[in-house]
Amino acid sequence: MTISLRKSVPHIVMLVYVVIILAPFLFILFSSFKSSNTEIAAHPFGLPKHWAFDNYKEAWVKAKINVYFFNSLYLAVSSAVVGVLMAAATSFALSRMRFKRTSAWIYQFVLIGMLIPGNVLFIAQYLLVSDLHILNTHWSLFLPYTAGALPFSVLLIVAFMRAIPNELEEAAIVDGMGVMRMFAQVILPLTVPALVTVFIVNFLGNWNEYLLSFFFISKDALRTLPTGMVQFRDAFQMNYALVCTGIVFSVVPVLIIYMFLQRKIIEGLTAGSVKG
Amino acid sequence: MKTTLKNPYIYLLFVLPTIALYFLFFIYPMITSFYYGFTDYNGLDAKNFIGFDNFANAFKDPDFRNSILNNVYILLFSCCVQVPLIVVFSLLISHVKRFQGFYKTTVFMPSILSTSVIGILWGYIYDPDVGLIDSILKSFGIEPIYFLADTKWALWSILITNAWQWMGFYIVLILAAILAIPKDIDEAAMIDGATGVQRAWYLTVPLIKPIINVVIMLSIAGALRVVDIVLVMTGGGPAGATDVMASYMVNKAIKYGDYGYGSALSIIIFAIALVLTALYQILIVRRQEKVEY
Repeated sequence: MTISLRKSVPHIVMLVYVVIILAPFLFILFSSFKSSNTEIAAHPFGLPKHWAFDNYKEAWVKAKINVYFFNSLYLAVSSAVVGVLMAAATSFALSRMRFKRTSAWIYQFVLIGMLIPGNVLFIAQYLLVSDLHILNTHWSLFLPYTAGALPFSVLLIVAFMRAIPNELEEAAIVDGMGVMRMFAQVILPLTVPALVTVFIVNFLGNWNEYLLSFFFISKDALRTLPTGMVQFRDAFQMNYALVCTGIVFSVVPVLIIYMFLQRKIIEGLTAGSVKG
Repeated sequence: MKTTLKNPYIYLLFVLPTIALYFLFFIYPMITSFYYGFTDYNGLDAKNFIGFDNFANAFKDPDFRNSILNNVYILLFSCCVQVPLIVVFSLLISHVKRFQGFYKTTVFMPSILSTSVIGILWGYIYDPDVGLIDSILKSFGIEPIYFLADTKWALWSILITNAWQWMGFYIVLILAAILAIPKDIDEAAMIDGATGVQRAWYLTVPLIKPIINVVIMLSIAGALRVVDIVLVMTGGGPAGATDVMASYMVNKAIKYGDYGYGSALSIIIFAIALVLTALYQILIVRRQEKVEY
């Protein structure tokens, strides 16, 4: 084997892998512009004869993808933001304030949450939200999403805050700063990289969540994108092009975010799994 | 001057909301799961304490036993097929210089997408009328296969989809570990005349054993967590061929209102997860010496 051939073997193997990853997306993208099922079946990989842009308008409005999209967006953003802020405040108290003993206990207590697999709690959480009379409202998703992200967020942010040198806050105290201002103006700005990581991980988790949102929400107007998509597929089973359009709508925003923040996303998601 | 950081009211203000929310949606459901698991609660009639009946019934229930078996298949597939492939792919990526970032970004991509959307997407790939695979088979004159409706194929179809979604995630984990190994070890072996395959097998793989162990642990946990993909693609069918423990539990609880029995199933899932991870830790991880370089 010549050296150049040997060098290209990894590339050939990886190219096959990359094609396997990307082919389904291309298939869906092309299908979404085709006007009929027969055209999809006849040329699965061919470009569409006429680009049926109407599919997009139809899916967005008629199939209510727009409703699902904004539900998902505001739920994912709001619970990720609230979760990050709560976790940041708690992490500050646990890592910087002088209640060492209590803090150690609380920290251990919160970390127990990382041992519990999510779907184990499903039935009990279902009964809990129905006891709280918030079933079929966005609260039934917002609260579990926010709570579910706390253990991992606290773990990561505490680790980050512990590395901040003590001298900083001593200087702040000498200058007469109160705790609140110290938290908001000294510690929080320094923690931004960790907060961004935690936010991204929580946002993606909420944006993609399926199990709770499928069973806790039955009003169509309140559905999120993952469950709305499944509903949409079941309703439009026969119109493949339209469902493919729906898939494009739900995948593209995530891919755009991924394009800009890929390093942060990969770092955050892998850190979460290894530490958990 | 230390008093600023010893303000108990601020401390409570910062800690209490988190503790309250966490307790309400984590600890309390865990406790009630255990409680419901020992009752015949069905959401309508009064709860009766029935001891270990639910647990005894679970192990007698042929459908649940079948779903445990499917979890075992998923677990074996991910540990025995996926993990070796993952190691090979990460070694390959680590050996190239050009396109390394591109490969990494592309293989990781499916793991940031919603499992439900991936389920729908692959449902179309497997579709007998318009799907990608059957279209290709048809052009070779092969009869279309009903991947998701045929008991022979359904679980395989889900295994492939699941692997497609998650392999890249683990590849990136292992790749990071490989790239963290100091270059001089590899160079020394190269000067001694070791081939690429030899260096990979005798040098790199032993050095990344700890992270391979992490990946195996995560695969075990992941195999027990599989549920979205099953609910979206097949709903557990055909005839329970793809039912896993979690999907069976969810269906029992929501469709039939069997909350007591469902809670018992969820405790069994939790127990199996704890036992498997503990066993793996004790049997495999503890026996290996620490890697230092």
